[in-house]
Amino acid sequence: MTTNPDGQASNYTKTLLAGLWRENPVFRLLLGMCPTLAVTAAVKPALTMGLCVVFVLICSNIMVSLMRNLLKPHLRILMFTLTIATFVTIADLFLKAFLPAMSEKLGPYVPLIIVNCIIIARAEACASKNPILMSIIDALGMGVGFTLTLCILAGVRELIGTGKLFEIQVMPNAFVPWAALTMPVGAFLTLGFLLAFVNLISKKHS
Amino acid sequence: MRSIKHFFEQSWLLIVASFFFGLLIAVTNAALSARITWNATAKLNTLASGLLPEAKNFTPLDETIDIVAWGGKPQALQLYRATDNGQTVGWIFTAIGSGFADKIELVVAVNGNFESLAGFDILASNETPGFGDRIKEDGFRNQFKGAPAGELVISSSGDPGTVVTISGATVSSTAVVETLSHYLTQVKEQMQQKGLVDNDNES
Repeated sequence: MTTNPDGQASNYTKTLLAGLWRENPVFRLLLGMCPTLAVTAAVKPALTMGLCVVFVLICSNIMVSLMRNLLKPHLRILMFTLTIATFVTIADLFLKAFLPAMSEKLGPYVPLIIVNCIIIARAEACASKNPILMSIIDALGMGVGFTLTLCILAGVRELIGTGKLFEIQVMPNAFVPWAALTMPVGAFLTLGFLLAFVNLISKKHS
Repeated sequence: MRSIKHFFEQSWLLIVASFFFGLLIAVTNAALSARITWNATAKLNTLASGLLPEAKNFTPLDETIDIVAWGGKPQALQLYRATDNGQTVGWIFTAIGSGFADKIELVVAVNGNFESLAGFDILASNETPGFGDRIKEDGFRNQFKGAPAGELVISSSGDPGTVVTISGATVSSTAVVETLSHYLTQVKEQMQQKGLVDNDNES
């Protein structure tokens, strides 16, 4: 049996890009809403959360892909959760050791990655059915897509809510910050507007 | 016999994975725990300096204080003496209470003769953002400055010498008050017994 290298490369590219737009976990699949709404008041925590999710996604996809032929159907969710919980604990320990202030700011939302639907969905839909390389590319695409979405949402909220980006003042002094955007209500409002904007663009494209 | 074989056939991967992942977490924890502890100590010192700005040094006492922790278990509490040029200006200890979501860990500062609270700060908490975590706000914490170092009284009217809990964060704010009362009364009694501070009756 021969494989077409061009076709394989195109598959990898398609998988990588799927997470960024076509199957973006937040804007298209509406998964992982808890951290999306909770940690996007500023870009720094959003970026940290995104990178933690990328780490957990890649590691759990690798492990699930490695044991995909050994998984018993009725025990697979248990195995996924065990794998994800391990890497979330490791990410949490790293944050506590090297970014203690950020770890405190993110609070319970880092341990809550364990129940993030994106990670368990990718383990089920991709890693448990594909070899390692494809699983890593899928994790990378989904993880980066999730991180970018979080940063866009956080960027809008931080900029309009405080006049800053990455805690650096960027708006002129005359700008009056709309503080409501940094509050929980601001998360829902911004997400709603961004979802409407994304739907508008995809309708125009189709 | 057949059922045991069936059990292992079904679950061997889960058992092996549990051991492997457990080992992975244990190794990571062993590698990082020293740094995490150092971060916690640095934070304790920073918070203690904020609560007792006149203090230059925080020295742990050689002897711990035996108290009953929140929940009823015995605890050997580490007490820190805050000094300025050898003069005791206050005392620092940590207190752990049960909040709404998880444990709440507090840093408590009391004045030199252990009569009034210099204040408290939050060392660790996982209270609900926007609700329970309002116990970190200055408005709530400032009420405790100068309060008697003993049983604290909660009131809704805000009478002098009483503490008002936070509406919308009643469980968390009440937990802070109860934790402080629980620790302050015991620590004060133990310190008086050990002769570290004057007895109430003598002063």
